[in-house]
Amino acid sequence: MLRRLLLAAVAVSIVVGSLVAQEAPPRLVSPQELLAGLPADGSRWVTFGGSYTNQRHSPLTQITPENVGRLAPQWVFQTDTPGRFETTPLLRDNVLYVTGPLNMAWAIDARSGREIWRYRRELPATGSLTACCGLVNKGFGVLGDRLFMTTLDAHLLALDMKTGAIVWDATLEDYTKGYASTIAPLVVKDKVIVGVAGGEYGIRGFIDAYDAKTGKQAWRFYTIPGPGEPGHDTWAGDSWKTGGASVWVTGAYDPELNLLYYGIGNPGPDYHSESRKGDNLYSDSIVALDADTGKLRWHYQFTPHDLHDWDATEVPVLADLTIGGQPRKVVMLANRNGFFYTLDRTDGKLLVAKPFVVTTWAKEVGADGRPVVLPGNVPDEKGSLTCPDVTGATNFWPPSYDPAQRLFFVNAREVCATYYAWRQEYVPGERFTGGAGQRARGPDYRAYGALRALDPATGERRWEFEYISPSTSGLLSTASGLIFSGDAEGNFLAIDARSGKFLWRFQMGSALHGTSAITYMLDGRQQVLVPAGTTLTAWALSDVPRVPATR
Amino acid sequence: MKWMLSTVALVVLGVGYVTAQDLFVRLPADPPAKNPLEGNADAITAGMGAYRQRCADCHGVDARGIRSPDITQVWAKGRTDRALFGIVRNGIPGTEMPAHPAPRTSDTDIWRILAYVKTLAASAPDAPPPGDAGSGENLFARNCLGCHRVGDRGGQLGPDLTRIGAARARAALGRQIRGQVADFRPGYEPVTLTTPQGHQIRGVKKNEDMFSVQIMDSTERIQGYLREDMRTVTAEKQSAMPAFGSERLTDAELDDLLAYLTSLQGATSPAEAGNR
Repeated sequence: MLRRLLLAAVAVSIVVGSLVAQEAPPRLVSPQELLAGLPADGSRWVTFGGSYTNQRHSPLTQITPENVGRLAPQWVFQTDTPGRFETTPLLRDNVLYVTGPLNMAWAIDARSGREIWRYRRELPATGSLTACCGLVNKGFGVLGDRLFMTTLDAHLLALDMKTGAIVWDATLEDYTKGYASTIAPLVVKDKVIVGVAGGEYGIRGFIDAYDAKTGKQAWRFYTIPGPGEPGHDTWAGDSWKTGGASVWVTGAYDPELNLLYYGIGNPGPDYHSESRKGDNLYSDSIVALDADTGKLRWHYQFTPHDLHDWDATEVPVLADLTIGGQPRKVVMLANRNGFFYTLDRTDGKLLVAKPFVVTTWAKEVGADGRPVVLPGNVPDEKGSLTCPDVTGATNFWPPSYDPAQRLFFVNAREVCATYYAWRQEYVPGERFTGGAGQRARGPDYRAYGALRALDPATGERRWEFEYISPSTSGLLSTASGLIFSGDAEGNFLAIDARSGKFLWRFQMGSALHGTSAITYMLDGRQQVLVPAGTTLTAWALSDVPRVPATR
Repeated sequence: MKWMLSTVALVVLGVGYVTAQDLFVRLPADPPAKNPLEGNADAITAGMGAYRQRCADCHGVDARGIRSPDITQVWAKGRTDRALFGIVRNGIPGTEMPAHPAPRTSDTDIWRILAYVKTLAASAPDAPPPGDAGSGENLFARNCLGCHRVGDRGGQLGPDLTRIGAARARAALGRQIRGQVADFRPGYEPVTLTTPQGHQIRGVKKNEDMFSVQIMDSTERIQGYLREDMRTVTAEKQSAMPAFGSERLTDAELDDLLAYLTSLQGATSPAEAGNR
């Protein structure tokens, strides 16, 4: 007995000894950790886009174009609930933090795929929720020992990272009036930045900041200016009150300029011109806001007086480039309206605007920054044919950017649509679109998709990889020259980032929809984590020796 | 209280699971017996746009049916507004008529569409259409049964026609048999695979992705193939359904055939019966 006890004591002291010897990450996630983005050692993924730039480009190089064909599944996690992942998982200290459909969320052991805790919000009757396009969520934000998640009934929650227990619960808006929230919060310094969905329900959109400690609102920026504010006169009559301009895709942040960059959603009603004459600011714009006060520094409107539901809620990506011999801090955005844009992010000056798909509504973007609109593209009761379609040239699925190659990667769609419009009365909480779009069909309208590599200094296409149908997958690229993507038929794909050549595939059984794979290091092996349908699957090179945990 | 909540949640999840596309189903309240928007000019205008966007692909801009029944006579045939509302809301299980759940489609959206379709309503025809169904059945057995199934007889390379009389307008069927319309129905597109040895496998495409194709071949064998194992995989331009011009089928024979086809009403599904 004594002998056994002694042995146990020795064993414990060895374990404790190794715990002390190994350096554990700080218990709390600091603002500095968020600022650092994706570390070279691959030990974490703690913001929506990997870093504040939203580049989704990992420095990891263990998995390469040469060995990607040897990827093997490590485990599969099932949500056991209907609905699909649109989330970007976070990883810290070997634990994954993942949001799912119906505001479920999990902490998952990254080594085994086993659940550590699960959270589920008691939502109002699902019929009363108004999320236009699925009861989804795009991911957590994190700071200190708290996770932040938006909800379908338009709340923002803080959860305890260790237990999933609610720390605080802030109400963004009244969900019965058409508000919902699916966006992944962006944590900047001591604030949690979120936006609201509801562009199809006649809401008045906004971006909010909340104190991460208390859940108290720090500031609000209305995406539709109120009476007396600049831009209010871009909405005829009372149309501003129900003008939409929702915010449902996470923005970027430049710590040096202390500016947030967010893409703003479509004006409402979506399709009916007469219902809201004017440019309808700041719908379909990118706004640059002071991160401390929420004050508008500059804006650029991609699609003035949009009639095709072309939200600018694509992921803005930051980079430093040389354009025309001049170094520029830029923000890049591949827009639903068919154009790829590069703007100077210090002042919003337009540097590049070039179509990256077939675009029939505008000839070009003029020197004044406004699109040169072509006739025959105003939707009416009879319908008018325009390219791109409603879903757009791309959409909320994240692009990636390779700073070494200076290439912007995006999953593009080549689809046209007939757009219809009619006058519709606003009823609070009901859909308010004033029309609809229908994908053009038949032999003259081949609908397909392509992964395209664009030069952000010119908008020129470097290469493409074509899909048989439009993909809605986000992207992840790596410093070893890989792009991970997906097609609409459920294939998870590895593509050569230098040539666009196909390298490897696996049929996941469900498409990556609106979400990207993430990558990180675990016990000496680079992992690729793929959210697809109701599953998360971890992949690694099984022939790379594992270095077991010692702490 | 807690168990009640979880029961409610389970019920909600259950409903969501049934309609996998749209999880958030508004639990149905009884719709009014009569369309509250009938004759309302604004509703009719809005309904026209919505109809053209969401219904006209199958039912035709004139509502007389392309890949679906003529719906101008539904009132003449005795359907009520409430029953039609139910069909639009819930779809007809086992057919191509999809459900249109809330909140994507509101009650108002459906009433608007019905208000518009009502403006196209026609009275029931006075005289029955020409043709002898008995002769038509013989023609069908000789020319069509090899590929099409009715009840438990016939081939399966083409669509099952057991309820085609309920699913298609007579005129649309006539145009299709004559080969006057392009036919690209998913699941029946002709495809030819050529093996490395030069052997050809012909069939209709059931599914595909970048790396594989799933077919029913001309012997009705279902099988999937990897594209990398084939020399070529070619989508054929010509429909698998041959055109029957007047040299193969006289106008009178076509009438007989149509009389037979329109008599094929299938088994009325319980859901449809409930909506009457």
